[in-house]
Amino acid sequence: MVGRGDNGKRTRVGGGVLATLYRYELTMLLRDSRTILIAIVAPLVLFPALVLMSRAVERRDQQRVEEATYRYAVIGSEADLASQLIERALEMAEPDSGLAPASFVEQEGSGADSLVRVGSLQLAVEGLSPEEYRRIRAGEAASEDSDGVDIPMQDVLPQVPVIRLHYRSDRDVSRAAMERLRARLGEVRRLHRDSVYRAHGFPITDRVGVLESRNVASAAREGGALLGLILTPLLLFLMLSGGSIVAVDAISGEKERGTLETLLTTAAHRSEIVNAKQLAVITVGVAVTVINLLNLLVYVVFGLIELPQNLAVDLSAASLLMLLGLFLPLTVLVSSALLLLSGYAKSYKEYQMYFFPLFLLFILPALLATLPGMDLRSAIALVPVAGVGVGVREVLVGEHDWPFLALAFLSTGVTAIGAARLTERTLSTERLISGADLDQADLRGGPDLFHRRVLRWFGLMWVLLLLISLWMGEELGLRGQLLFNIMGLFFVGSLLMIRTYRLDPVAAFALRMPHPAAWFATLIGAPAALVTGIGVAEMFQRIAPVPERVLRSFGEFAVAGDPMPLWEMVLLVAVVPGIFEELAFRGVLLHGLSRRLRPVPLVLTVGLLFGLFHMNLWRIPPTAYLGTLLATVVLLTGSIYPAMLWHAVNNAAALIPVELAWVTEDYQLPLWAYPVAAAVLAAAFTVLWLTRRPYPVPGRPSTASRAGGRAPPRP
Amino acid sequence: MSPSGSAVWVEGLTKTFYDEARGEVCAVDGVSFQCRPGEIFGLLGANGAGKTTTLRMLSTILRPSAGTAHLMGHDVVSEPAEVRANLGFYSASTALYPRLTARETLEFFARVNRYPKELVAGRVEELVHRFSIAEFQNARVEKLSSGMKQKVSIARTVVHDPPVLIFDEPTVGLDVINALEMQEVIRALKDEGKTIIFSTHIMSEAEKLCDTIAILHAGRILASGSLEDHRRATGKHYLEDIFVYYVRDGGADTGGVAPGADEPIGVLPAPES
Repeated sequence: MVGRGDNGKRTRVGGGVLATLYRYELTMLLRDSRTILIAIVAPLVLFPALVLMSRAVERRDQQRVEEATYRYAVIGSEADLASQLIERALEMAEPDSGLAPASFVEQEGSGADSLVRVGSLQLAVEGLSPEEYRRIRAGEAASEDSDGVDIPMQDVLPQVPVIRLHYRSDRDVSRAAMERLRARLGEVRRLHRDSVYRAHGFPITDRVGVLESRNVASAAREGGALLGLILTPLLLFLMLSGGSIVAVDAISGEKERGTLETLLTTAAHRSEIVNAKQLAVITVGVAVTVINLLNLLVYVVFGLIELPQNLAVDLSAASLLMLLGLFLPLTVLVSSALLLLSGYAKSYKEYQMYFFPLFLLFILPALLATLPGMDLRSAIALVPVAGVGVGVREVLVGEHDWPFLALAFLSTGVTAIGAARLTERTLSTERLISGADLDQADLRGGPDLFHRRVLRWFGLMWVLLLLISLWMGEELGLRGQLLFNIMGLFFVGSLLMIRTYRLDPVAAFALRMPHPAAWFATLIGAPAALVTGIGVAEMFQRIAPVPERVLRSFGEFAVAGDPMPLWEMVLLVAVVPGIFEELAFRGVLLHGLSRRLRPVPLVLTVGLLFGLFHMNLWRIPPTAYLGTLLATVVLLTGSIYPAMLWHAVNNAAALIPVELAWVTEDYQLPLWAYPVAAAVLAAAFTVLWLTRRPYPVPGRPSTASRAGGRAPPRP
Repeated sequence: MSPSGSAVWVEGLTKTFYDEARGEVCAVDGVSFQCRPGEIFGLLGANGAGKTTTLRMLSTILRPSAGTAHLMGHDVVSEPAEVRANLGFYSASTALYPRLTARETLEFFARVNRYPKELVAGRVEELVHRFSIAEFQNARVEKLSSGMKQKVSIARTVVHDPPVLIFDEPTVGLDVINALEMQEVIRALKDEGKTIIFSTHIMSEAEKLCDTIAILHAGRILASGSLEDHRRATGKHYLEDIFVYYVRDGGADTGGVAPGADEPIGVLPAPES
């Protein structure tokens, strides 16, 4: 057997070691009786209990609703009409509902509406004259009490009385009473209308035709389509939860117990250790999946779970093989990912913390594959997990698109191998092997800790911003939101970080003077950047077209509410963000991340985060682009001031031409503007580069080459 | 064997960590030494001196940032599996699998260390008797007392009969009786011809056990030699005084010159075999 040694060379590896590791891994798992009990036995027992219980409850509820006596009262000025209609409705056969026959009992009518509210009546039928109805609706509209009404006002004809059914949607008996009476009243109405038509000589029975729809899909195809929706997510769910039983113990558990170091000092290769553990994860994951599926099958066979009628799946041997072929890389990927998680986590607790995001990472693409219209013959075949999900669906309905099935197989398979390799690397990553090493930064706090916490702070700020925009967006208005977000959140947040981590404000905010030439570069660069930014936004729109509403919402938002004088607009939209957003993003955030990231990832990260703070998918690309440019400006000038000016000029230049009605909102830039702007932007960055004053990175000696040895990204 | 016929040959071994708080930290800074076959080589140093990092590089858990190390002629970087096959590594942090029995533990580690299959049973039997494990050999490790676990741990370390053994602070956390037992085991293993690297911060242990004592401080070996060599070089009798002489009085605290010594620190040559 040939494997890779720890040094990456291909060396001979004894199959015996791998087999020993695998055997003992499983032995140890099987001896952990609590795990077995909780992970395997408990679901087997709990699942049927849950199914039986829910079926019993469901049956009882249905019976209660069906067999109930619906008590109703008739009220209102047109009560007689309502009573007549009800009488006729109850005489006729119920439209096929598949339910037991309903029994309606009329009761005394005073205050019926409130009796329904209290719950002693299921239904109040109110007959109203059109004028009365109009008055009532107007009153309800004024008191904002019209949510429960389901016909628009204009549908009410001037001479026609209205029959109102009062019910409570939270009481299923009341709701059933309404639905069943309404269906029959509707039928009465239809028959009456037809007879009126006929009486006036309308030949309604000819020339209208009868509609019928016929399903030509075979039962097998239908069953396959249905199974295709649930199979991949279900298997993933079972394998992830089953494989996790071993995976959590396999590496992170060994770290916690201190046995990993013992194992790593043996003559076993890292690849043997990872492969043996992976085999164990696969074994248990597949075993748990099979056990649960068999369990499910038992309930189906004994009729405890009812399948949809006529469900049939017709799978040829070839299709079955293909399904297994598709699930193979998925199984390996699940085990690789779980093991990678285990290698990355230093303890059980950490593993559990990371498990849920990993779970979503698998389940979401699997669910993506179940969306209607997903076709394997598209980029989805390249998405790991999702490609397999779509492939499985197609195989189940009897379609075999070979090249794309192969693509789906490969995309998931290659990802699985990559994850396994990464896991091997975690066993050589010193920081991850022994978790208990004392963390100096945690003890000392202050600036040493800041660069590790800065993303958490901005994450918190992002969540706050999201909540504010969701809950208080309208109340605050433009003025309030800008002031609250920018001054309140960004500035106060920045000051809090500086205080908490005892940062030097001059360094954190980059309050240094730039080279004088930087001002010139800024003044020519900012408008050019705006134009190229518009280009970026438009390119993105080609990929993800913006709904018209979203495109204009910002403008409408600004226009709505009290009109703002231009000076205030400029102050709020250009000057204030220019100062305070720069202090937060190109100041504190850049300062914190600069110690962890090299310049290119640094400016891209700052730019992306800045874009994400704009809370709107279509605004992210241009704002992220601007943020990236601004971060580059700060790295090149070593100062926040040119970035502030740049940002303010950018926002003002976007705002003023529209506000002063020089151009309309849907003004399109001429095509030549983009290359010209790109050239001007390049010139601006050349000036900045030639006159650069490096940005000092905390904790590292500053060198000119580190500070910005590359041209800024171009559109 | 290694270039000079030593069992362990270490040259300029360096380990630099990147610590987010402190930046680059040099935990081990150009350490060189050699162990003759069959000797007990002691690494004496305070906590944080770099003992464990050095030994972890020797056992291939950590990768050196610079320098080389050979164990029985195998390079720790290019032939890690061969190095580990020739090595038994014991430390306070190398725990046992709680759900295996004592006997299974030994079988497992013999197999994983590629001990010849047909000899495993005999070897395990031998160790079970030698370390008095017989009466609890079929009990799970999680049920054993700490003294019993220690015995199993030592047996686990030597089960594949490696020529080199590393004991990294083996007596940490042991009571006096268990610590003495550990010392006896180490001496017995030396008598069998094993080469032993032994790290400790306890002076009396080093005095009693080690043929060669290297004093490690802040990632560097300040001096290396037999106890007699050290006594001659420093004029002190007790190892404690010798250690303090090198580490504190001779360190940067007093300007780098040891009182009463006319030789600069660190020139004491490692004994050549």
